[in-house]
Amino acid sequence: MTVSPDNAMTTTDGKAQDHIVKLEDIHLSFGQTQVLKGVNLTVNKGDAVSIIGPSGSGKSTLLRCINALAMPQRGRITVNGTRVDQLTKESERIELRKRVGIVFQQYNLFPHLTVLDNIVLPPTKILGVNRAAAEKLARELLDKVRLSDKANSYPGQLSGGQQQRVAIARALAMKPELVLFDEVTSALDPETVGEVLQVIRDLVRDGMTSILVTHEMRFAEEISDTVVFTENGLIVDHGSPEQIFHTSTNPRIRQFVGGLGARGTVRDGEGI
Amino acid sequence: MQDSSILNTFIAMMDRIGLNYEFLATGYEATIWRDGFITTLYLIALLIPVSLVAGLVFAACLTSGRPFLSAPVRGFVEITRNTPTLVQLMFSFLVLNTFVSNLVGGAQNNPLTPFFWVVAVVGLHIAALHAEAMRAGIEAVPSSMVEAARGMGFSQWQILRHVELPLAFRASLPAIVNNLINLVKLTTVGNAIAVSEITYASIMVWTQRDNVVSLMIVILVFFSAINIVVARLGIWVERKLAVPGYGL
Repeated sequence: MTVSPDNAMTTTDGKAQDHIVKLEDIHLSFGQTQVLKGVNLTVNKGDAVSIIGPSGSGKSTLLRCINALAMPQRGRITVNGTRVDQLTKESERIELRKRVGIVFQQYNLFPHLTVLDNIVLPPTKILGVNRAAAEKLARELLDKVRLSDKANSYPGQLSGGQQQRVAIARALAMKPELVLFDEVTSALDPETVGEVLQVIRDLVRDGMTSILVTHEMRFAEEISDTVVFTENGLIVDHGSPEQIFHTSTNPRIRQFVGGLGARGTVRDGEGI
Repeated sequence: MQDSSILNTFIAMMDRIGLNYEFLATGYEATIWRDGFITTLYLIALLIPVSLVAGLVFAACLTSGRPFLSAPVRGFVEITRNTPTLVQLMFSFLVLNTFVSNLVGGAQNNPLTPFFWVVAVVGLHIAALHAEAMRAGIEAVPSSMVEAARGMGFSQWQILRHVELPLAFRASLPAIVNNLINLVKLTTVGNAIAVSEITYASIMVWTQRDNVVSLMIVILVFFSAINIVVARLGIWVERKLAVPGYGL
């Protein structure tokens, strides 16, 4: 079982497990607004976990907790041996973030740097990698995301899908232990969604631990080892894609995935 | 004096259209006047980097989110922006400078010259204006981009250095060039505390020669020429730094 809401506390402590991320009883509020109300989630090394659910259910906040961009008021977060909830200093959080890649909806490439420099900057400045080595890796990654010919372009000269692929390459340049994807295709037009999903698909196939917040139900179904359904700051259910998308008895989940068309809304160019 | 025939021809020609440049043929006043130009150019050359560096430091403090850095700078910026530079200069020279003299045991031991006070007061005054322009540029960087940089593991300083400042500088460049053009003109306040820049030197000459208009024409042409160069350089830098496909 990859995800174990509620019973997570009973099975783990002290035992050598291959889980890489473990959230236990996470509570988080912004002022009076309770965003997360006791979330439990375990992700195993090499797995792809998709988090689905309606907007405002706390999906993105959950993701931000994993690399300390948001700090919960209560609960334990463990990322590959690091107790994230206990990191009080910014320097400690930076150490964690070096190991956890994150890709956002709005790409957020640095517009004043070329594609190549966007990918070279983080490893050279944050990890202290020398320029030649970072550039070699950057070119390999650009090859991987099929943008070798765009190395000297500026982000403003690329399409949204191309920018997002560069953003993924930039995250990989830090050689992260896992990558978080926060609705990375939500700002893209249907035609370019496919090219970004293909890059993530390759990554998951290569065994990169990936946690995705997504509205691409078909894609989640295809690549995930586990799908998590969240609503109102809680994990309502979790399980294999088959369980969540097709055999769930929960009426809310059936309504949600049915409404988004778990089957039958194949997009052109998306591929399988 | 070499070229004396050319000079004399020039003086005669100007005299014919009613302009009096006779003093150029004398040694003493001509030297004062020439040194005035050099002092002004020297002030400008010093003040541009001083104001930019101080402005950068002020902007970094203002946007640091740390009250012990931002509060004093905010206070300084408000006082500097809201009071006349001439008054600030006189206050600095007559009050602060006297205070320093008393501290070091007499004016003869005080290393601070009127020239220093012009650089300090005008430099920091323009720095305050630069800082506000740069602050606007820094705050215009989308917060999602800053969060992304933070998420990658950049420190606050690295984000400022590699993300916010490069973008802020581009956005604030037109305002900064405007400030620099003001700076060039503001060097003339030096004459209030006897720094022999060009207006002070000119006053020395025209009180003897009664040739205000003749000298004024040269002063206006001189400052116009410098500021045309400053503005041109600004446009050149703007083009040089333009990011393809980006609005700046």
